[in-house]
Amino acid sequence: MMEQKKKKAINRLQTMYPLRANIDKMYERGVEASKTGKPTAWCMVNWWEADPILKAMDVEVVYPENYGAVCAAFGTAPAYLDRSDADGFPTHMCGYARNCIGYTSRMTELGQIPPEAPMGGMAKPFLLLCSGALCDARYKWFQALGRYLDAPVWTVEIPHIGVAESQDPATRAQVIKFMVKELGEFVKFMERMLNKKMDWDKLAEVTDDLIKVNRLWHEINELRKARPCPMHSRDFWSCMNASLYPAGDPKESLKLYQDMYTEVKDRVDKKIGAVANEKYRMLFAELPPWHDLKIFDELADRGWNFVVESWAYHPAKPIDTTKVSNPLERIAAETYHWLTGYFDEAYKAKEYMGYFAYPYLEWARTYQCDGGLLHPLLTCRTATNHLMLIQDRLLNKLKVPTLVAEGDIVDLKLFNHAETMRKAETLEEMMDHYKQKRRDEGLEW
Amino acid sequence: MTKVVIIDAAECIRARVIGPTGAEHRRLANRVMEEALNRANLHFEEIAYVVATGYGRINVPFADRQITELTCHARGVYQLFPTVSIAIDIGGQDAKGLKIKKGKLVDFVMNDRCAAGTGRFLEVLANTLGLKLDDLGGISLQATSKIKISSICTVFAQQEVMAYLAKGTPLPDIVAGLHDAIASRVVKMITRLKIEPDVVFTGGVAKNIGVVQALKQNLGLEVFVPAEPLLTGAVGAALLGKELVLKARERGEVIAAKERRLEEVTFFR
Repeated sequence: MMEQKKKKAINRLQTMYPLRANIDKMYERGVEASKTGKPTAWCMVNWWEADPILKAMDVEVVYPENYGAVCAAFGTAPAYLDRSDADGFPTHMCGYARNCIGYTSRMTELGQIPPEAPMGGMAKPFLLLCSGALCDARYKWFQALGRYLDAPVWTVEIPHIGVAESQDPATRAQVIKFMVKELGEFVKFMERMLNKKMDWDKLAEVTDDLIKVNRLWHEINELRKARPCPMHSRDFWSCMNASLYPAGDPKESLKLYQDMYTEVKDRVDKKIGAVANEKYRMLFAELPPWHDLKIFDELADRGWNFVVESWAYHPAKPIDTTKVSNPLERIAAETYHWLTGYFDEAYKAKEYMGYFAYPYLEWARTYQCDGGLLHPLLTCRTATNHLMLIQDRLLNKLKVPTLVAEGDIVDLKLFNHAETMRKAETLEEMMDHYKQKRRDEGLEW
Repeated sequence: MTKVVIIDAAECIRARVIGPTGAEHRRLANRVMEEALNRANLHFEEIAYVVATGYGRINVPFADRQITELTCHARGVYQLFPTVSIAIDIGGQDAKGLKIKKGKLVDFVMNDRCAAGTGRFLEVLANTLGLKLDDLGGISLQATSKIKISSICTVFAQQEVMAYLAKGTPLPDIVAGLHDAIASRVVKMITRLKIEPDVVFTGGVAKNIGVVQALKQNLGLEVFVPAEPLLTGAVGAALLGKELVLKARERGEVIAAKERRLEEVTFFR
């Protein structure tokens, strides 16, 4: 007798698949460009500070951080991690960096893209572009890559200001001025590298398209506040990279996000949830264990619907920058706003815990979360330091309990699937308790 | 260990049994239950409700419901110490900190990634010292000072202990150092729970007076230990089962009990 195939607990969005495919195509485009002598860059996630410039100058871009997630999901990461370890890099270094260094080391030795590389691999770059956003440890990673690849390393900086300082308009003006200068220097560098001038009209158009993409993606995520939540975090992570990096042609991404908006809206109208029986509305922080995404299916079987996640990878709250005529200033304003978009509210709430922590507090309330799964990354302080603070604030301010499951984005040796599932059952009992507690204390959900 | 506690409606314990745990421990749950029924002079059909807890809870075919060990511990500890705020449970496999309010588990932390800070750490080091696990507590009370174990890894701690032995450090000082190491790790782990009195210590390691003393020193607080620290989870499970039955009766409902089989689980055969 044929075994009946079990229906998957997460009802994935149909519009996710073409969007994801469009994102994944960036690797193929990079390889093709490389074959025909066109420039390909390896770029850190920079929260749109430098991406529009690369796109406007027809440079194909791949993102080694994204490729770390790809290698983890495809199971090729362990060999690259071992390779990085063998080359003498510390095992407690960022999982993405170790994966990428291992990949690069192997590619350098072979003189070509490793045959096992998933999605066609990352082609040899003509430029390594660093970003000062959020994680300063990334510079050293790209400097090391520069030595393997004999490619120039350029850094676009961004000042990191605090919640209180953000309330001073002069501070904002100074930061924007600094960022515009940084971008201007990067444009000059690219013009020298490519031996061609920047097409400023094209840059304005690309910038405008990316802002539209981010606005639409934000609106899709706003729809997830509905009960039941129509879209699971798995779909968010599958599709975030058309906005975040941004991978793919912005006009194509805009069309695909529009299709997704229509599907999500339809689900909201018809009260269709991403999980059939939404028992617990969950928040996730920060990056997931890419090597063990199936854990979300198991949790969905228990009625866990992840309704919001990973603050740093969400688009900024929309602002109107259409009156800013200089595209570099417009880019700077958008990136600055992404970094500080929650600061006004944080300041009012006297929560000076910065950009990484406060949004979760707001989202737990507005998305009406019952609990959270916090995933401290043992190799990433940037995505970890704030989690204990979040745990404390969520529980004590909003009566939302959370589960801490230590792990890593790439290194599967650092994550304990069985223990996480065991703790999840205890969290359910706590979520039931706190649901009653929130009602007793007059909270909205 | 497999433990069974049977209580009656007045919350009197009618039987308590701690049975051995082996590689196929889950298969033996029915035997421990039979032993408890014998001691209580009861037939299995007279048991109103069975709650299973702990690592093997899903493999008890005669259980009506499974509840996690943390929730059961919280309830059990509260029954014995109604003013409890923090419970520390150190067993062979893990160490847990529980924040308890009125018998409810409101927060928890666990060390489940490493032998350091668990009973296994003491087992391994007792072996290295050629001592019996049960003797460690008494020996440590004879210490005049205590060594500092700097490694958080059990294997490296073993090497440190061997180095102290080679130097001729007195055994009581080494054992006291080990107790301090386990206590300080656990206290660091539970600090997030905002430690406040009363603190109750359960689990197999709570039988070791040396660790109890080390915990008191590290916490700067009194630490209470139940007479039978291995049974708090089972006591809590029994109480939660009783409460479920009584609540159902109050509502005039028949509690949904499963068709029970007091027999071995079959998938090991």
